[in-house]
Amino acid sequence: MSQLAFYFDATACTACKACQLACQDKNQLAPNQLWRRVIPYTGGGWTIQEGFYVPNNFFTYAVSIACNHCARPICAEVCPTKAISKRDDGVVLIDQSKCIGCRYCEWACPYGAPRIDEEAGVMTKCTFCEDLLAQGQNPACVDACVMRAIDFGPLEELQAKYGTVNAIEPLPDSSLTQPSLVITPHKHAQLSGTGTGKIDILEEAL
Amino acid sequence: MDVRQWSLVIFTILGQMSVGAFLVFLVVYFFAARKVGREEAERLSDLSLLAIGPVLLLGMVASVLHLGNVMNAYRAVANLGSSWLSREIFFGVLFAVVGGVFGLMQWRKIGPFSLRIVIAVIAGLLGIALVVSMAAVYLLPTQPAWDTWATPVRFGVTTLLLGVLAMGAAFVANYAILQRKDPSCAEAQCTLLRSTLRWLAISGVVLLGIELVVIPLQISTIATGSAFGLTSIKMLLGEYGTILGLQLALVFLGAGVFGVFVYTNAMSAGKENVMSVMAFAAFAIVLVAEILGRFLFYATQVSIGL
Repeated sequence: MSQLAFYFDATACTACKACQLACQDKNQLAPNQLWRRVIPYTGGGWTIQEGFYVPNNFFTYAVSIACNHCARPICAEVCPTKAISKRDDGVVLIDQSKCIGCRYCEWACPYGAPRIDEEAGVMTKCTFCEDLLAQGQNPACVDACVMRAIDFGPLEELQAKYGTVNAIEPLPDSSLTQPSLVITPHKHAQLSGTGTGKIDILEEAL
Repeated sequence: MDVRQWSLVIFTILGQMSVGAFLVFLVVYFFAARKVGREEAERLSDLSLLAIGPVLLLGMVASVLHLGNVMNAYRAVANLGSSWLSREIFFGVLFAVVGGVFGLMQWRKIGPFSLRIVIAVIAGLLGIALVVSMAAVYLLPTQPAWDTWATPVRFGVTTLLLGVLAMGAAFVANYAILQRKDPSCAEAQCTLLRSTLRWLAISGVVLLGIELVVIPLQISTIATGSAFGLTSIKMLLGEYGTILGLQLALVFLGAGVFGVFVYTNAMSAGKENVMSVMAFAAFAIVLVAEILGRFLFYATQVSIGL
């Protein structure tokens, strides 16, 4: 079977966080247990000209990011209990009944996808809404996006349609884990590793 | 830093200390037995061997405290094929079991000498495998402050430094017990103890020198490796600079200054009391220094990506 993947259109995203909230709502997540996050990225600055603030290479855009169900899932590689596995359709899932809550996957994942369930003491992460998929429905984040900026499907189809960009700032270099992700970059997007901006969000909101 | 990371500080420090102490035991026992015979060598070292087990067990208990779901802890060795964390637990348990078997045999003099030595060497190799896998756990491409040659080297130096100084303190304590039980043993044991402590003090000073060379090299390697590494080093030298300074001062004081005091007081007979106090002090001070160093290792972690 082919690899399931997410598509994200950074030119359409308004950073409204509807996807993040829909994900939390559908999956009954705690406030800090964000399986999908919207992360604004900002750079450049402003200058004063004749008493007015004028943008000086100022830019800002956002990425909406969940688990990328990577081709090389480093979380599954390092997990000591084999609680994390990759299905035939490429979806990476955590079996909570095997998890010991050591949080090693959290250190290993460059996307911050595995999140602890503080109450149960085990790791959780984006399941690609596999229960909805099984009923022929879309993942909650996809349907929640008012800008239609998130889509999903077989990786090859998305790549044929939208290209092969999968690493813009503030996302990490894609060679680490080969994420199943396709991005339409924002016009100001900087490729991963060449960033001059910074993540523009409170640390506690990450 | 939260409770979880303190439990890892305690686990890695105590785990490495017990491996180091065991290796030092092996070396001291080997040379002491060649020099003064097996019986005197065993009087010097057997009791201190028994102190290693509880230290390792305490570390393992601490490691379990960082788990969210302790009931599943037995599953941690399920992924030996690709997870260094599995391998760490695997070698940790094997080292504890084989080392424990050797400790029991040596203490009760069960089995022939040659068999005991074979088991001890196997335990020592398992201990080395434990420290190697402990270090490999941190060689994650997403953690630039950890993913350098310096992590295994620092872990190795900590292992040997704490092992040397812990065994120095243990031999001194053992001597005090021996003296109380049987004062007639004192002379031969006293000479052996003094020469052993001289060698341990020299080893401590050499290891201190290695550590003081490795730390600046590690800092420059991480700082020049990536922007995330540079952030780690800015934290280390900035907000955590005081702790780093304290760590360096303490390790110099313990292994260097007190190490020299141990050495000079071990030169001639009659100064055993001062020498003993110095050996305890050197161990205690360096233990604090190494705990601070390991605290910094976790506290200055900066992941790449998100």
